[in-house]
Amino acid sequence: MSDSQAKPRRVVVLGGGTAGWMTAAGLARMMGDRVTVDLVESEDIGIIGVGEATLPHIRGFVERLGISEAEFMRATHATYKLGIDFRDFGRIGESYIHPFGSFGEELGGVGFHHYWLELNRRGLAGPLGDYSFCVAAALANRFAPPAEDMSLASSYGYAYQFDATLFGPFMRESGLSIGVTRHEGLVTEVERDGESGDVAALKLEDGRRIEGDLFVDCSGFRSRILGQELGEEWEDWTHWLPCDRAAAMPCKHATDDIRPFTTATAMPAGWRWQIPLQHRMGNGYVFSSAFIGEDQACDAIKKASEGEPLADPRVLRFRPGRRRRSWSHNVIAVGLASGFLEPLESTSIYLAQMAITYLIELFPEGAIEPADRDEFNRLVDMEYDRVRDFLILHYHATTRDDSEFWNHVRTMTVPDSLAGKMELWRQAGRIEKYSDGLFYDASWIAVYLGQGLMPERHDTRTGLVDPERLKSATDRLRSEINTSVSQMPAHTDYLRRNSARLAEPT
Amino acid sequence: MSQPREPLRRIVVAGGGQVGVLTAIGLRRALPTCEVVVIGIASGLAAFADRASTSLPFTNKLHDRLGIEEAQLVLSAGGSYRLATHYVGWGGKEQHGIMPYGGASDPALQTRFAQQWGGGPRNVSQDRPAGSIAEALVEAGRFAPPPPDADTPISEVEYALRWNPPAYRNLLVDHARRAGVTHVSGLIAAIQPDGRGGIASIAIEGQGTIEADLFVDCSGPDAILASAMPEFDVAPWSDISPIRRVLVAPPGQAMLELEDRISLLSEGWLCELAGRDGLQTMLAIDDAVSDDAARAALQAEPAAVLNLSPGRAREAWIGNVIAMGDAAVRCEPLGFLPLDLAHRQLHLLLEMLPGRQIVASERAEYNRRAGLMFDAARDLLAMHYAAPRARMVFPDAGVPGTVRTTLDQFERRGRLPFQEEAPLLKQEQLALLGALGFARGLSTREQHLSERDIAATQADFAARSQAAVAFAPPYAQWLTSVLRANPAQTG
Repeated sequence: MSDSQAKPRRVVVLGGGTAGWMTAAGLARMMGDRVTVDLVESEDIGIIGVGEATLPHIRGFVERLGISEAEFMRATHATYKLGIDFRDFGRIGESYIHPFGSFGEELGGVGFHHYWLELNRRGLAGPLGDYSFCVAAALANRFAPPAEDMSLASSYGYAYQFDATLFGPFMRESGLSIGVTRHEGLVTEVERDGESGDVAALKLEDGRRIEGDLFVDCSGFRSRILGQELGEEWEDWTHWLPCDRAAAMPCKHATDDIRPFTTATAMPAGWRWQIPLQHRMGNGYVFSSAFIGEDQACDAIKKASEGEPLADPRVLRFRPGRRRRSWSHNVIAVGLASGFLEPLESTSIYLAQMAITYLIELFPEGAIEPADRDEFNRLVDMEYDRVRDFLILHYHATTRDDSEFWNHVRTMTVPDSLAGKMELWRQAGRIEKYSDGLFYDASWIAVYLGQGLMPERHDTRTGLVDPERLKSATDRLRSEINTSVSQMPAHTDYLRRNSARLAEPT
Repeated sequence: MSQPREPLRRIVVAGGGQVGVLTAIGLRRALPTCEVVVIGIASGLAAFADRASTSLPFTNKLHDRLGIEEAQLVLSAGGSYRLATHYVGWGGKEQHGIMPYGGASDPALQTRFAQQWGGGPRNVSQDRPAGSIAEALVEAGRFAPPPPDADTPISEVEYALRWNPPAYRNLLVDHARRAGVTHVSGLIAAIQPDGRGGIASIAIEGQGTIEADLFVDCSGPDAILASAMPEFDVAPWSDISPIRRVLVAPPGQAMLELEDRISLLSEGWLCELAGRDGLQTMLAIDDAVSDDAARAALQAEPAAVLNLSPGRAREAWIGNVIAMGDAAVRCEPLGFLPLDLAHRQLHLLLEMLPGRQIVASERAEYNRRAGLMFDAARDLLAMHYAAPRARMVFPDAGVPGTVRTTLDQFERRGRLPFQEEAPLLKQEQLALLGALGFARGLSTREQHLSERDIAATQADFAARSQAAVAFAPPYAQWLTSVLRANPAQTG
């Protein structure tokens, strides 16, 4: 057991963006007086802050920092999020919601989607989303926190849509209030121990030297320490995830309703997002520079936007892929410095949070144990690989042949791990099962069926049930969902019910 | 448009033991239109799953799903309850530890345990409080299964059942008959391949030929059907498990206990299972122990000596043949794993029930997940043999890399890396490692807990544990009254 009187570990975080301040605040709060946290940031380096939509996990993170939901929502202009509406991905004109919730209920040990496939074959099924409480609530623009009983209204979770450029500063405030020391300045040199190769200190341009035991690289795509200094190899995933730019252009809300979901609409060379915040609509075009020029993409987003633009499009560049190891020597990369997939399923903040959680679980109290470093890298790999396959599916499961971009992703060779999953789905209508990582059965089913990837066969047991009885049972489910949803408040009303979560209009 | 798969028309289950019959019940209930034929071949004495008189809590859920009522098991199959396993001598000669079932346990409480844990005999360190509600109930000898729909002070307690194997099998046979499962006795005389890597039909001595779409091999360690497949291959576990012989003592006195005991002796491990119809004792040893020494350790002339060569099928499902239970995994009954493993495999098969045309991808997924189950069970066995004193008793037992990582993480950090398809819940596994004498490190979070948090959690636990003990009736009294109230079904 570690001696509580032992000298605190000195953690130095490089980078003052979302990942940097999440890491600093998280470590300071969760590790208490066993660490000192110094954060180096520079006003001369902008932050990316694209991540405007989140996954339900963020709630636990904010809670553990001791921040109330209302306070957090007010500071980040947040709205509630029940899922993502994907439009035109499988085929132009089609859409589906990937909910933070499930579809129907299993019957006799057979998953609901098998029964849905059987009813659908007989022309007796409504759209799959009709049988999901979460989808129905989203489409009705309604929101209330999930019930805590076993009712239909407990069958979902929720996340937030927020202004990422405000989330970082909010985390900064939280971090500074619990003892994080902030240093303003540009790093000119990473000083390393000659023998071990470990990083000893960061040298700033004014000559200051920030020493530490552990360095967390949150310097974004530059990956100043892990990538540039330690030369950790980059694994490029552009072949599978060709989008590498985003043209962001916030707009005013076009209507009074604020939707409790994010919209992702497929475009000729990528897709565009609409993320409703309290006072504006986040808006932008994620595209592949191999298939469209930046100017063209900016024009496209201007044309596609519904609300009045609040600024000119701003182009952000990124690279899908990751460092082979996120933890090397005494350097741990969190956020973009470690890797980035692309914003499609809003996994960026989740991946940073995941790395912080694992870092705390495996935090080196004394000398770094190689076993802990390996375990951290194994966990990060597992998370990235699962998210990667799921994202690739969104592009690959399409019939679109209206542009070079969609022709490429439709016909590309996917990773073996994804090919196996798709084959199992195609032949038997089943989902490869895992319980660790992100995106389980319901998510895969939502995308497969939402994008028109029908299996050839479904479970044999669905043939044993009288179709009419099955139909009346699913009709009943649908009407129970509709009744229950109709009693929920409108999202906008629920949001405004508590003024503590509302930001001042800007 | 997706089509429903053409249903299996006939399934042959080879093996008429408790694994085979329950498999037949499960398949027939899932697919009432399909003929299910059990070939009543015996699985041999070393079929530890097929002859088990107990399993783990998962089995209760499976029973429930397949309509095997717990009350019936208690009334007509000698059913009794185990809330915890008591480990003796694994960490050190006099060291005791308890592994309760269920996931309800408090990290703060664990912290205090970790801090106070020093080994030593259980009755000496009087100040060590009960570590779980289950343990408090065991010590008080109080329990009755909690009513299913009410929230009671013992609703969180999970348990495993023991039974009398012949009576339990009879009960299952009765269920199978009512479900319309057919039964054929006779030895398998010939196996006709289907030309696609599976089986077209089998010939039964004196009964003719039976064709089927799917063959489930529950025939025991010999894996009569599966081993006839050219691709069938066994990955030996002999480097990990030192056990080569299991000696079974004649049944002892009947007893009513809420725990069973697994002790490490210098000869091997000794399991004492408190059956309602008699104490069952078995001793598991490696090759080096002499017969005399084994007899002395067992303290009885063995009623049976069973040979064992531990291992797992590399692929449990080949063609249209699925090896299940002892046919898929041969391992010693340490921690009551073999039958649990068979039941989880059956559950997986019911989840992934194929159609008449079996497709390669579903076979691959079944084999992937069953393989994860097998390896997780192997790892759990290996954790026993890696216990501080077990290393001296079984110096040659190898420790898989995954187990080394787990033990290292447990001892240094109090954490367990997640393992897919593992037999135990995380809290159960933490308790097991403690009971085996591994010193648990404190997690980052636990190190951060204040004395006040710990004290508050302990006070809360004490209150909940008192409420549980006050709520639960004396176990023996409860069981007697239940049996007396239903005399017709006993016996």
